[in-house]
Amino acid sequence: MSHLQFTNVGKLFSGDNWAVKNFNLTVNNAEFVSFLGPSGCGKTTTLRMIAGLEENTHGVIKFDNDIVSDPENKKYLPPEKRHVGMMFQSYAVWPHMNVFDNVAYPLKFQKLDKATIKKEVSQVLKIVELDGLEERKPNELSGGQQQRVALARGLVMKPRILLLDEPLSNLDAKLREKMRRDIREIQLRLKLTLVYVTHDQKEAFQMSDKVVVMNKGQIEQIGTPAEIQNSPSTQFVREFVEIGSH
Amino acid sequence: MRKSIYFFVWLVVLLIFVAPLAYLVTLPSLAQFLEILTHPNQLTAIQNTLLVSLSVGICCVVLGVPLAWLLTRTNLPGKEKLRTWFCLPYAIPPYVGAIGWIILANPNSGLLNTVFGLGLNVYSFMGLVWVETSFLFTFVLLTTLTALDSMDSSLEEAARLSGANAWDVFRDISLPLLRPAIFNGFVLSFLATAASFGVPAMIGGPARLYLMTTQIYTYQRMGTTQGVQMAIGVSVLLMIATLVLLFLVQNTIGKQKSYLVGGKSTRPSLLPLKQATWPVFTILCALLFAVFILPLLGLLISALSSVQGQWSLSNLSFNNFYRVLFQTEETWRAVTNSLILGFSAAGICTVFSFFAAYFPAKTLLRGRSLPGIFASVPFSTPGSVLALALILVFSQGYFGVGPSLYNTLGLILIAYIVKYMSLSIKTVHDGYSQIHPSLEEAARISGAGFGAVLRTIYLPLLKSSLIASAFFIFMPVMSELTMTILLSGPGLETVGTLIFSLQEYSDVAGGGASVLSLLVVTIIFTLNFALKKLSKGRYGL
Repeated sequence: MSHLQFTNVGKLFSGDNWAVKNFNLTVNNAEFVSFLGPSGCGKTTTLRMIAGLEENTHGVIKFDNDIVSDPENKKYLPPEKRHVGMMFQSYAVWPHMNVFDNVAYPLKFQKLDKATIKKEVSQVLKIVELDGLEERKPNELSGGQQQRVALARGLVMKPRILLLDEPLSNLDAKLREKMRRDIREIQLRLKLTLVYVTHDQKEAFQMSDKVVVMNKGQIEQIGTPAEIQNSPSTQFVREFVEIGSH
Repeated sequence: MRKSIYFFVWLVVLLIFVAPLAYLVTLPSLAQFLEILTHPNQLTAIQNTLLVSLSVGICCVVLGVPLAWLLTRTNLPGKEKLRTWFCLPYAIPPYVGAIGWIILANPNSGLLNTVFGLGLNVYSFMGLVWVETSFLFTFVLLTTLTALDSMDSSLEEAARLSGANAWDVFRDISLPLLRPAIFNGFVLSFLATAASFGVPAMIGGPARLYLMTTQIYTYQRMGTTQGVQMAIGVSVLLMIATLVLLFLVQNTIGKQKSYLVGGKSTRPSLLPLKQATWPVFTILCALLFAVFILPLLGLLISALSSVQGQWSLSNLSFNNFYRVLFQTEETWRAVTNSLILGFSAAGICTVFSFFAAYFPAKTLLRGRSLPGIFASVPFSTPGSVLALALILVFSQGYFGVGPSLYNTLGLILIAYIVKYMSLSIKTVHDGYSQIHPSLEEAARISGAGFGAVLRTIYLPLLKSSLIASAFFIFMPVMSELTMTILLSGPGLETVGTLIFSLQEYSDVAGGGASVLSLLVVTIIFTLNFALKKLSKGRYGL
């Protein structure tokens, strides 16, 4: 069942300066998809268009049967109405709120009673292994723990899609390895539809069901990790995969 | 050589920056404070100062914070241009605005009253608050803009994705994170109001609304021992209140600033204003017109009017320009004096800072940051207070040694240097900290001594900081009024005091103060844009 669909999506900055062009992709329910490519290839812009933080200037983005953005027909759903979770590269954990308030924030807008909020938050904190730290302020947490707060905040709202924007690039190697396994495990367990942005081939191939290789705002190849590694369809993909394996 | 320069820096700071204010504080006795605090006139002045400053501070926040948010977080058209325009009042002395508003809104012949029948009275509490706010809101605007620019925008984006609308994000995320910056801006505008002299003198005087600074001026002008003692008492009170408030703020709320800057972030997603775009744009343009263009327009009309307060085309002429610029000998004396003072102060401060800022930025010498801190005290001290302290210390030679400097350009120059040195030291210090220590080390290894390092490494690399420092001193000095009015007597005019005397009593025909005010504004804007061009946008508004 297709869950997220891009049809000819593009973002034109000015003149002939395309950030993203002719982007066509179908993401299935409970699928883990990675956008892979060098910096400036448009992968983050595409992710932000799913969230509604950027508006596409061309094409249509659909969640199930709902059109969330269609500039031609002046349709654009603002980010707060899209119900997607996102983990940012810089964590984006609010420094003036404790862990509980950070994670509970999305539930504020779902008109739930206090007891339910408390229950949901503690469930999610258990999943990300942060139970017991509810009262801590972000500056009392390690980078890895802040990252888990951000993940919990994305999960607690039971998002239609969870977006991750190079979430592990600020962590050290050992922690990164554990977070990769944990994120994948949580995604499988909760049957989440997840879009993951990275420039790290190894990361993309290790975690994903499907990898989208991008370059200069366009898709070079879409396939399973095995397909892309074994039969790269363009020169760019071949070189990009090779460099990564060394 | 390094040691002796360091010693010299300390000596200058202690003798000229620290000693006068320290001396002033020791003068009044407890009994004098009690007398001031029970004297009805003084009590009213203290109350007025608090009330006006508080109102101005609040108005500045109400105006500055939403403005900063609109200018950074929305897709408002022409944002960059609007931003520059809204920051410009920061560079103009507020008393110029007071003159403009008196022309526009004095109860008898104000243009807005005679032509549009608005029935405004600038000589009132509200008038005073409005004129101060229309300049000082830039303090809040600038601190808030800086904070918003450096705030990791994903903090706000994460909230939107959680389901928060623009208003929720502002209330739950932006506002709490901006609180230290807003509070700093509030305190700066509060203190600037409490320290201002020109606006309360021109507007508060006719309204019989006396502030502490205008009281100091009145008492000092009395010339009697009792008058001077009263002036000293009020000054010390004002200074202590100011410094205590600043100290408290910097060590409590101001300190929270540290967590504002998060990780690297992409450019913030801008909130589309949609149908509100043009209404908001129109309101901002109207606001800009009201706070900035309108008073300048008032000055222009007044400068061009042969007869003040009449609004007709036949009344327009260049008579005032001719009279002030060519028939008034004080004008050229004042302009010459201001230029001499401007160049000397800018040169001396910049050269001194070049040496003084080296030590805190590049060495680990004991007490290296103290001279900079000491220099920042007179900068934060209200000008009236500082001027009084300098008069007391220098009027019979320096503590009785040497010739009297009272009523000389020399004392005015010292006052400007002491007041504004901090700006210069900060600018040059920032410049030093951006130069990697390895550059000096490489020069040392190559055989360069301390003097050669300064001359061949730092001087060329600091060029833009030094130029900026000179501009930062020159601009406020060109129009300084608060200190100069206390330090100068007849025959010793500067542009600031001449404008003040033309406005207050000596220009019967009128329009003279407007001509000179326009001149000041033109000079300041020219310098600002020159600085911005020269530094490729790094300095200047």
